[in-house]
Amino acid sequence: MQRFLDPAVLARISNLDLIAKTVVDGFVAGLHRSPDFGFSQEFAEYRAYSPGDDLRHVDWNVFARTERAYLKRYRGETNSLLTILLDASSSMNYSSHSVSKIDYARFVAASLFYMAIQNQRDAAGLIVFDDEVRNYIRPSTRFGQLHRLLAGLEHAEPRARTDFAKPLHHFQQFLRRRGLVLVLSDFFEPPENVIRTVEPLRFHGNEVVLFHVLDPRELQPQLGEPVVLVDSETSQRMEVTPEYAHNDYRQKIDAHVEELSSRARGAGIDYFLLRTDRPLDSALAEYLTIRQERN
Amino acid sequence: MGFLAPWFFAGAAALAIPLYLHLLRRHTSNPQPFSSLMFFEARTQSSIRHRRLRYLVLLALRLALMALLVLAFADPFINRPAASVTTNKLLVLVVDNSFSMRAGSRLADAKREALSVLASRPPAERAQIFALGSGLEAMSQPTDDSQSLQNAISAVQPTDARGNFGDLARGLRSFSDSVQGPIDLHFFSDMQKSEMPANFSDLALPAKVSLTLHPVATSNIANWAVESVNAPGQIWDVKKARVQAVIAGYETPAATRTASLVVNGKTVATQKVQVPANGRANVEFTSLNVPYGFSRCAVRIDSADALPADDASYFAVERSDPRQVLFLHEASDRRSPIYFGDALAASAESAFAMESVPADQASSIQPSRYAFIVLSDVASLPSAFENNLDRYIRGGGGVLIAAGTNLGRVSRIPLFGANILNARYYSNDPTGFLTVGDADPSHPSIAKADRWIGAKFYFAVNVDASGSQVAARLTDGTPLLLDKKIGEGRVLLLTSGLDNLTNDFPLHPDFVPFVEQTAFYLSGSERPAGSQLVGSYLQLRTAKERAVSVEVVDPEGRRPLSLQEATTAQTYQLNEAGFYELRLANGRQDVVGVNADRRESDLAVMSRDALSLWAGKPNGSNAPTAANAVPASLQATEKFAPHSLWWYVMLVMLLTVIAESWVANRHLGVRREE
Repeated sequence: MQRFLDPAVLARISNLDLIAKTVVDGFVAGLHRSPDFGFSQEFAEYRAYSPGDDLRHVDWNVFARTERAYLKRYRGETNSLLTILLDASSSMNYSSHSVSKIDYARFVAASLFYMAIQNQRDAAGLIVFDDEVRNYIRPSTRFGQLHRLLAGLEHAEPRARTDFAKPLHHFQQFLRRRGLVLVLSDFFEPPENVIRTVEPLRFHGNEVVLFHVLDPRELQPQLGEPVVLVDSETSQRMEVTPEYAHNDYRQKIDAHVEELSSRARGAGIDYFLLRTDRPLDSALAEYLTIRQERN
Repeated sequence: MGFLAPWFFAGAAALAIPLYLHLLRRHTSNPQPFSSLMFFEARTQSSIRHRRLRYLVLLALRLALMALLVLAFADPFINRPAASVTTNKLLVLVVDNSFSMRAGSRLADAKREALSVLASRPPAERAQIFALGSGLEAMSQPTDDSQSLQNAISAVQPTDARGNFGDLARGLRSFSDSVQGPIDLHFFSDMQKSEMPANFSDLALPAKVSLTLHPVATSNIANWAVESVNAPGQIWDVKKARVQAVIAGYETPAATRTASLVVNGKTVATQKVQVPANGRANVEFTSLNVPYGFSRCAVRIDSADALPADDASYFAVERSDPRQVLFLHEASDRRSPIYFGDALAASAESAFAMESVPADQASSIQPSRYAFIVLSDVASLPSAFENNLDRYIRGGGGVLIAAGTNLGRVSRIPLFGANILNARYYSNDPTGFLTVGDADPSHPSIAKADRWIGAKFYFAVNVDASGSQVAARLTDGTPLLLDKKIGEGRVLLLTSGLDNLTNDFPLHPDFVPFVEQTAFYLSGSERPAGSQLVGSYLQLRTAKERAVSVEVVDPEGRRPLSLQEATTAQTYQLNEAGFYELRLANGRQDVVGVNADRRESDLAVMSRDALSLWAGKPNGSNAPTAANAVPASLQATEKFAPHSLWWYVMLVMLLTVIAESWVANRHLGVRREE
């Protein structure tokens, strides 16, 4: 468990001073502003009453002075809900150096869980999936939640193949409350399939962020001679030439990343590419910084 | 160009192996896992073409490797002029310098012919020079330096040694083991028949040695020689001295020769002798009047033949006064001095004068005055005399101890140091006596005494014989005569008496030669009569532990022993004919006459058939002669000689192996990286 909580990684993220300034809903609990107007003390605005509004929100003092019914709205500080969807398919087990994609995804998830639960008292949950949901830990702020989440990460060993469509309805079932949904995957699926699968989560008011975890050799394969490659999910064999890997493949994977990124933005979904050779703290810091600027 | 083993080209079929591995066998590579192949497309044709293209280099290297291996086994060669080929063949020239090569100009002819063969060899060919005298002696190291080789041939000097062709073959057999490559042996000799070994098979040479014989003498030469001389080594009475000589003729007609007796360079007697054709004649000089001390004598003939070196036979004679012998006995014993003294006077050519003294009066006697000392049944000696006697023995003196009944009553033999186990009185046995059961005929005291057959022994002292040599035993195994070396001297122990009471040996005829030989043996006066042969050894000292210096002066007046050899050498080999002066470790001076082995005087040569058989040319057509041997060998060397190329093929193969390893390692290295 300790490997997920590298103090150096977490200390560098804290030094970014994100806790005091950002209002990203639900990412850093307690200090982040909620994406919705709620019921906290900080006044936001008045809105004219319309039929169907909750009468409890009517500012009766204004009504007494003006005989008009207004609803008082606040920017309330509220705990957010962080749910991480971790892809544990076989393709996540690939590595060209010391850190595999699944390990890198575990590091990211563990770091975010730690920040959410220890620093910001947010509720956090985990869904591990491949072609079905393999593990689900309900978001909670109870004591010991962090350990459960980290244990869930620990046991998320890659197997089977990725299938976003099949566990989709499970995601819908689990994510009833609005919050932040992070999807950690290598997204070896057509981008339209990925977005089509993830987009419904957005409809429930969740903020969805795609973390595209890729090994550097997946982006830039280097082959010295023709080799037979075996697909880790389908066991398909294919003889590949160095020329193709150097030229055509790179164009295709770049196009794939670009399409996934653009489609995600089009669907209001944030997208971040994580290379496994990139320092973890640097990647998270960049993500948080971008979110801070965005909000 | 040709191939020494072309049938190895059948191995070219092995070229199919790399062809099969590279072209026919399906390429297999280790599959590599990848996360997803959704962005890959199969490009099989392109990859296979690429792979074949790259592996063709490796294939070509492997094909070349196999082809070179087959080529190396086929052993290709090219013909090159033999003169330009630097081979590892060694030219060995052996010049016979035995005694017979002194005849006429034989040695000079042999050396001249050897120089001729040496000059005709290819310049780069290595050669080595040997001389065959008493053995095979290397005169040079293997070298291609013509000047040093010529000097080595010039350095071959005549010797007085007897040659043996068996030594040549034996030496070449061991020499060839240390030489790689063939040996071209040329032997320059008079091919003397008497130098042939007993068995012709002893002349066999290794297969790598090709022999060319160069006889410098083709016919037999008449030669007279003084074959042997029989003369005493020591003279005490010149009137009794005789000198007998044998004059031999080899391949000679009947002739009258004049034989002279030369003493210290002066001819003292001359006789005419009729020597039959190819036969021998005896000549005797009835007087040898030499002065006191050592005299250098020779019997010489006037032969006027081709080998004058064997016309004289040398011998040294020492004339001296009779030497004193001390005979100690008990005062009551009056018999043993008489028996022993009479026997000594009757023999030994008046060499000794005996002095009989009772043992109790011996305290003031100096033992060193006497040639040897006899203790006749003396149970006790004055202590001072006993100590002097002990030093006398250790310094090289000799003592005879006779153990009678007096010694039978003590527990230990004085001076000799042996414990007395018991005294045996055989008069009580049913037979009343015992005889000698076992005797060593090689012992000087027994050699001329006919093993003491018939002597009866009634009494003997049984002693512990450990540490001594038993020369005779009685029939019950009791030691009768023991010989023990103490220091430089020796002690003889007769375990019975000399008084005719404990045995009848003094009355027996064998008693006189026993006393005579024992006297010479103990006094050290048994110097050989006549002379020694060249090649024989002289004993310089008898005990290794004594570091007393000896001295040898050879016939040329040189001292051949170094300082270290003078203190350690046990023996010395006599290499030259003439007179050697010696000072031995026991302090005694000596002069020895040395003569060449007279088998060298027979100058008969081997038959042509025998020479052809030895040279490996049984038909005799190429039998080497002085005239044709060298041109024949030259003719052989002027032909073309095959020069093998396998070494170069192996070198190219080594380079190919390195290149193949490098190329193959590059492929494997890429795979490892991926």
